[in-house]
Amino acid sequence: MNINLSKLLKLNNDTQLEALWLQRLQQNDEQALAAIMRKYYTALYNYGTRFTNDDALAKDCIQEVFISLWQRRESAAEILSPRYYLLRAVKNKVLKSLHKQTIRAGTIDDESAYDFLQEFSVEKLIIDKQMSEEQAAILRKTMAQLTKRQHELIYLKFYQHLDHAQIAGLMNLSRQSVYNLLHETIQKLRSLWQAELFNQ
Amino acid sequence: MKDFRLYDISDFVIDEDFIRWVHEQREEDNLFWNTWLQQHPDKHLVVASARRIVESIQFPQSNINEAQVEQEVSRLMNTITSQQIKREPVKETVMVTGFKWWYAAAAILLCVSGTWYFYIRDTRVQPYAYSSMVAAKQLIEHTNTSQKPLVLKLPDGSRITLGAQSRISYAHTFGSADTARNGVTRDVYLLGEAFFEVTKDPQRPFRVFANEIVTKVLGTSFTVRSFEKDTTIQVTVRTGKVSVYPQAATLASSKMSEIILTPNQQLVYERTGQKFQKVLLNNPIIIVPPAVERSLVYDDAPLDKVFGDLSKVYGINIVFDSDLLKKCTVTADLSNEPFYQKLSLICSAIDAHYELIDGQVVIESTGCK
Repeated sequence: MNINLSKLLKLNNDTQLEALWLQRLQQNDEQALAAIMRKYYTALYNYGTRFTNDDALAKDCIQEVFISLWQRRESAAEILSPRYYLLRAVKNKVLKSLHKQTIRAGTIDDESAYDFLQEFSVEKLIIDKQMSEEQAAILRKTMAQLTKRQHELIYLKFYQHLDHAQIAGLMNLSRQSVYNLLHETIQKLRSLWQAELFNQ
Repeated sequence: MKDFRLYDISDFVIDEDFIRWVHEQREEDNLFWNTWLQQHPDKHLVVASARRIVESIQFPQSNINEAQVEQEVSRLMNTITSQQIKREPVKETVMVTGFKWWYAAAAILLCVSGTWYFYIRDTRVQPYAYSSMVAAKQLIEHTNTSQKPLVLKLPDGSRITLGAQSRISYAHTFGSADTARNGVTRDVYLLGEAFFEVTKDPQRPFRVFANEIVTKVLGTSFTVRSFEKDTTIQVTVRTGKVSVYPQAATLASSKMSEIILTPNQQLVYERTGQKFQKVLLNNPIIIVPPAVERSLVYDDAPLDKVFGDLSKVYGINIVFDSDLLKKCTVTADLSNEPFYQKLSLICSAIDAHYELIDGQVVIESTGCK
């Protein structure tokens, strides 16, 4: 099947290019580091700002992640998926910084409980898909019913396009729980969505 | 191979290929899914529902643009180069484990304010900045504050298409009969981007002053891009020939650093390093009437004729060893492909390859039998 072949080729090119960058990074090539940053910056920034509204903090954390990637460049070739590696590093870095801030502020908090700022864009749908205000309101309500974990899951799946094993790694869940949580989430969306919209 | 016949709504919603189709609407995916739906008409409703769910999952674009990303990239580059210098006395393990984010923030702040200072200082002292060139001259100025190009006609008949957020000025006496007699140049000052179509007048060269560089022509069309904040200045030639030289050059040395540009060539001037580089455009355009391109059909034609024709059609110099390649012949229809595809076709036919060096094409081959 042509379609799958072309997709495979593109995928191969991407992973090959990344493997090449990592290899060059190992050989002290700064430009390879810059290339990796260029490719992933938007995705990392987007993910980082899910945990904090402070975008200067998010940017600083991304800088640090890349600095430590540079310092550990000898073992760069061991990174299988740069996207996953970087997302994970950025998440850890941002949560750690936030945790330190709260400790200094005197409020003791559990590091594992963090906010995931939900940000589904309904406005774009109203324009692009000619959704009515009424429908948009239903969608907003539906989204608001999802838990923070479900939001993060959907975000990683539909925005960052990670596979289930990677999502499991990022969210400290087993693959099976990712699959279950995903199905549960989709069912929720589906029932609300269908009940409200298709029967109108 | 996945069997989509067994999929229910949720399976589709979480399927990567399905998501890609809905989100990206690629040609090949459209083809696949439309065909699949024709073959499985009973699945229309399931697919439509799944589509709606996937469509409803939208995330806003990050409010970060390419320029900001570049800023972060150079910030990173600054940090790692400055770290390399002081790397020796610091133990690596200490660096990694004892790395506190506020130290990093402080270091980064230093770097940023360092570059900021440079930037300020540079623009202040800069004698060739638009504002200092224009000051103290009685000039007519046009500013394009819109997002659309603005077409202007100069007194000598030349046309300027002024890009968005760009400014241009010229003297009151520009192109008047009086200056023609004296053989004075036609000078304009540019900040931003503009495309010039210059009326031929060998007596009065047309000069564009854009920050540090000057572009001089007799009659031709070309683009100059020179925004104050850009790190490079670009001059791109559509037709004719132009010469470019730095403003700083004294009269004696200006001949030395003068660079001649021909069609489809672009000059990139790197402002901080004060370096010129001549490159070919990514997609060269044809500079002769379209009828000529249609005649690029060859049947066992000698290679030097084919290269000669291409050279004329695009105004691009093609360098090759004619002795070595004199036995090569080409049979091909080269009328419709882009320039580089034409080159690749020829090269694959004669088992050669090409390189782009200094705004020219250089053919490398071991020759034909």
